[in-house]
Amino acid sequence: MKANTFLSTTSLGSLVAAAFVISGTSAVAAADPVAADPSAAVEYTGTISVLTKFGLQQLSPFFVDAAKAYEKLHPDVKIELIQESDDSVKGKTKALVASNSLPDIYFTWTGSWGENFVRGNRAVDLTPVIGPQTEWGKTLATAAVSAFQYNGKLYGVPLYLDAKFMGYNKSLFEKAGVSEPKSFDELLSACAALRKSGSTPISFGNKEGWPGVHYAGQLLSYNVPQATLEKDFVPATAEYSDPGYVVSLTQFKQLIDECSDGAGTNGSSYASALQQFSNGKSAMYYQEIIEFDQATADGALKRDDFGFFKLPAPKDAKGDIKAIEGAPEGYMISAASKNIPLAVDFMRFVTSAENGKILSAPPYGQPSATVGGYSAETMNPTVVDGLKVIAASSYLMPWLDTANPPRVAAAWLAGLQALIGGTLTPEEVVERVKVAAASSK
Amino acid sequence: MTAMKHDYKGGAVKIGFTGSRRPERGRLGPITGILSFRWIVIAFVLILWFVYYPIIDNFLVSTKNQDIFTGETAFVGLDNYRRLQSDPVVWTAIVNNTLYAVISVIIQVFGAFVLAALIEGLSEERWRRFWRAIYFVPSAISITVTGLLFYFIYQPDIGLLDSALTQIGLADWSRAWLGEEQTAIYAIIAMSQWQGFGYSTLLFAIAIQKIPRELYDAAIMDGAGTWRRLWNITFPLTREMTGLMVIVTIAGAFQVFNEVMVMTGGGPNNSSQVLGTWLYQQGFIENDFGYGAAIASVIFVITLLTGFAQLWYTKRRRIDL
Repeated sequence: MKANTFLSTTSLGSLVAAAFVISGTSAVAAADPVAADPSAAVEYTGTISVLTKFGLQQLSPFFVDAAKAYEKLHPDVKIELIQESDDSVKGKTKALVASNSLPDIYFTWTGSWGENFVRGNRAVDLTPVIGPQTEWGKTLATAAVSAFQYNGKLYGVPLYLDAKFMGYNKSLFEKAGVSEPKSFDELLSACAALRKSGSTPISFGNKEGWPGVHYAGQLLSYNVPQATLEKDFVPATAEYSDPGYVVSLTQFKQLIDECSDGAGTNGSSYASALQQFSNGKSAMYYQEIIEFDQATADGALKRDDFGFFKLPAPKDAKGDIKAIEGAPEGYMISAASKNIPLAVDFMRFVTSAENGKILSAPPYGQPSATVGGYSAETMNPTVVDGLKVIAASSYLMPWLDTANPPRVAAAWLAGLQALIGGTLTPEEVVERVKVAAASSK
Repeated sequence: MTAMKHDYKGGAVKIGFTGSRRPERGRLGPITGILSFRWIVIAFVLILWFVYYPIIDNFLVSTKNQDIFTGETAFVGLDNYRRLQSDPVVWTAIVNNTLYAVISVIIQVFGAFVLAALIEGLSEERWRRFWRAIYFVPSAISITVTGLLFYFIYQPDIGLLDSALTQIGLADWSRAWLGEEQTAIYAIIAMSQWQGFGYSTLLFAIAIQKIPRELYDAAIMDGAGTWRRLWNITFPLTREMTGLMVIVTIAGAFQVFNEVMVMTGGGPNNSSQVLGTWLYQQGFIENDFGYGAAIASVIFVITLLTGFAQLWYTKRRRIDL
């Protein structure tokens, strides 16, 4: 037996894999800021790599088809797609940043997530080509473009709008004799009635941690003033002393305990919960507008039976009850790209009104951020109605896990799981977040 | 020296290196010898570059705080190692890895050894083949697929496990196995045992097959029963394989990653974090590569020490046939 050889293989092997990854992350110092040049001629040759968040089977054809159409228009251009899912895109992006291998175009959220790329001069300043007075800028929803504004400059290309709604099964509501709740208390009463009628009121899967964060984010926007929230998103000014935090988490815990499977939800995934809802096994599911089409795609829940409402605000809320949790999602162009004009041109193509209509309609159902990029005739009517609610909202509350620095986001994710599981109280969760914010300064 | 070994039919066969003759060297001169050295140099450089350089570099990374987005780096000395001591999740992870190791050694080493002995004790070869195959099948399934499979088995209420418990009148025992902090890590470890048990059994079966049959025949003639033969013949003569399996199992338990990522992602509330997933969380989620590198160093030291300890033990107790 070659024990010595074996020893060197196994005992060193543990570190080698990790060390390879970690040691390969010797980040190169940030380059100088790069701004897009509106007068630069586009050379239609070469390859453009794109990291998307459309890895799901249902969504992936959008970029595949767009790339094919663009390559057909410009035969000397090749578009290379790296398509990831919502969860995997986070790790993939950071691995690419760490190894200085960001593709020419990459997916980004707004808030702290996008700010990281700007801080590191890894995103092209698109203000000269996407600003409100520019030809391209006029074709995009101004609020969506502004969501990617950092230090007064615009860095992102918004592709679609997103916000969180409570989807519900009209038949199960009718069976239980309940109607759309108008307040938080009415929602809790509806849950009791639905449970009595034999339905799971809300299917909720929090294995990933972020589904819980979405509920908490909406409740925080109701209970904590906007200015306080935005101050607390920045570690240097964060205090987390507003009593609305504890109030929100207390309401969140009550909602999960009374309306879902309680502590057990930490063991179910977001996708399993969606499946439960679309199979007609649960009456409600808290979902993004971009998932409306998925909820009624091929399950027992039919499109006519699907309704939605904004998570109702509690009485005496001290925050903004017209706020809604959500944000546009979009793409940045790498400052290290060798062909920035071509990358800009490809994104202009992707965000054309024609492609916007394709994106907004089933099976994708992602409401385009392009002006005139959707048509009520081809879209799911509930998505159209959802867009009206977003338009009427006073504030788009960003996702807590992308608005906050990573350590604070991690504290929210783990803390809410502990709150659901009953191992931490609302006060302890807020304290944990406060400590994480202090250590991120 | 020529080593002799008896085959199953009682005949003697020659094994290993025979005699003291050494191959002649240097006939083509010193230049050829030096030229031959280039092949060693290539291997040496590859090992240095792919094995030892990352280890050293990992340690260097662990002494810095680094912002991957801006590329800014600050030397912090051993601060990341001091931080490890006060990080409660690191201790949770070490406990979880240790639990993983202990349970895996009991089931995948000693359990697999007993099962292999029972299978190899069967009189008919077709049954021996059949049971080896049956136990080996789970090992042929990828760990990611197994993780997803068990995710559905553990689903609260609708999962196979809870349904089975309800069917046999133990509905009170049903729970969200992966969703509760007290049970999540045990649910993952149980899945891992199911997956790895057959592989260990197969390795032990191979080791047992190498034991000369005459030893068992003689023991039977001396009146030794099944357990006596297992304890006095099979166990000592497979000790080297047992030692090997213990190293593999413990080292594997401290490198576990996929199972946890697929099934819980380290949750709920970090209760099922292991060192590998906490390393990933720090590096790739929280952008703290320096601290992640410090965790990697801890994994390295633990597995290295385990390897040395087990190697020392195995050498001391080696029995040559």
